[in-house]
Amino acid sequence: MIRVFAIALLLLCTPAQAHKLKLFVTQEGGDMVGTAYFAGGGPAAQIEGTVIVDGVERARFRTDGEGNFRVTAPANATISVDGGDGHAASTNAVVAVDPPTNDIEAAVARQIRPLRLQIDAMEERARFSDIMGGIGTIFGLFGIAAWIAARRRGKQ
Amino acid sequence: MAHIPDGILSAPVLAAGMAVSLGGIGLGLRRLAPEAVPKAAVLSAVFFVASLVHLPAGFSSVHLILNGLMGIVLGLAAYPAIVVALLLQAMLFGFGGLVVLGVNAMNMALPALAVGMVFRAVWRPGCQRRTALLGAAAGGLAVALTAIMVAASLGLSGREFLPATNLVLLSYVPVMVVEAVFTAAAIGLIARVKPELLS
Repeated sequence: MIRVFAIALLLLCTPAQAHKLKLFVTQEGGDMVGTAYFAGGGPAAQIEGTVIVDGVERARFRTDGEGNFRVTAPANATISVDGGDGHAASTNAVVAVDPPTNDIEAAVARQIRPLRLQIDAMEERARFSDIMGGIGTIFGLFGIAAWIAARRRGKQ
Repeated sequence: MAHIPDGILSAPVLAAGMAVSLGGIGLGLRRLAPEAVPKAAVLSAVFFVASLVHLPAGFSSVHLILNGLMGIVLGLAAYPAIVVALLLQAMLFGFGGLVVLGVNAMNMALPALAVGMVFRAVWRPGCQRRTALLGAAAGGLAVALTAIMVAASLGLSGREFLPATNLVLLSYVPVMVVEAVFTAAAIGLIARVKPELLS
């Protein structure tokens, strides 16, 4: 009975990783447009964020229901978000993108934004090779431990 | 969450976590009998993968920890097993940071050891229902203790303690339920098939 219940509960869970808060920011005009989300999971809705310029806090904002936000900030600002429960992420906006100089560049930047967001999110996905590599490493490490223990015992 | 990333905790908390974890690893390795090494390896691998099973929990999402199960089956050897799994989670998945590894290990391994010790003291072979209930209590309690330790780590690092505690504890309620059920099922099975693992 309890095993059926346990399996049912496990089937309810979707395998994904969702304990890393990620922040994706691009510049649009004088604004920073960003998305906060949990890697592999859902959006980080309604969490606090700050804009820091030269070590001084300039502005505070809150993400909306989809984890999106728009805040006025200069290009050298550091944008941080904090879930309050030990999840936090920050980014240096300068590396995000060069500010577009004309309408066409601005339009292209807008169009490729979802694509860049997708690439950013894909980097964080747990790959099958990572999982298998990790399991293999664990068994290898404990194998070494067993080998050392066996040698020690053989000498005695 | 259980895996605190780098850059959140203060230096004294980091140092304390590192010191406790070094002691825990040393003690655990000394108590790790050669016959118990395969067991530790399997549970370490299970712990490593369990963090990929995530549960939606309202505003955030949480994942299985399984530290109660590890504490019951491995005893002191749970500490090094958890450290190895956490190290690989940090390196391969980016869960938690490398600098905070000591604190993260402490937050998950100390509850595991405490719960394991209590379970071994109370458990007697025989009654299946009692075994399942004890397993459920151990699984749920280990997660609750981890949540409290995570909140304390955040609080001692200068974050507002109460909001953080509420957030962490609230988001851990679903994990506690799932872990209680899962640990009860696993311990029930072990007690029936291979009871010598538990004593």
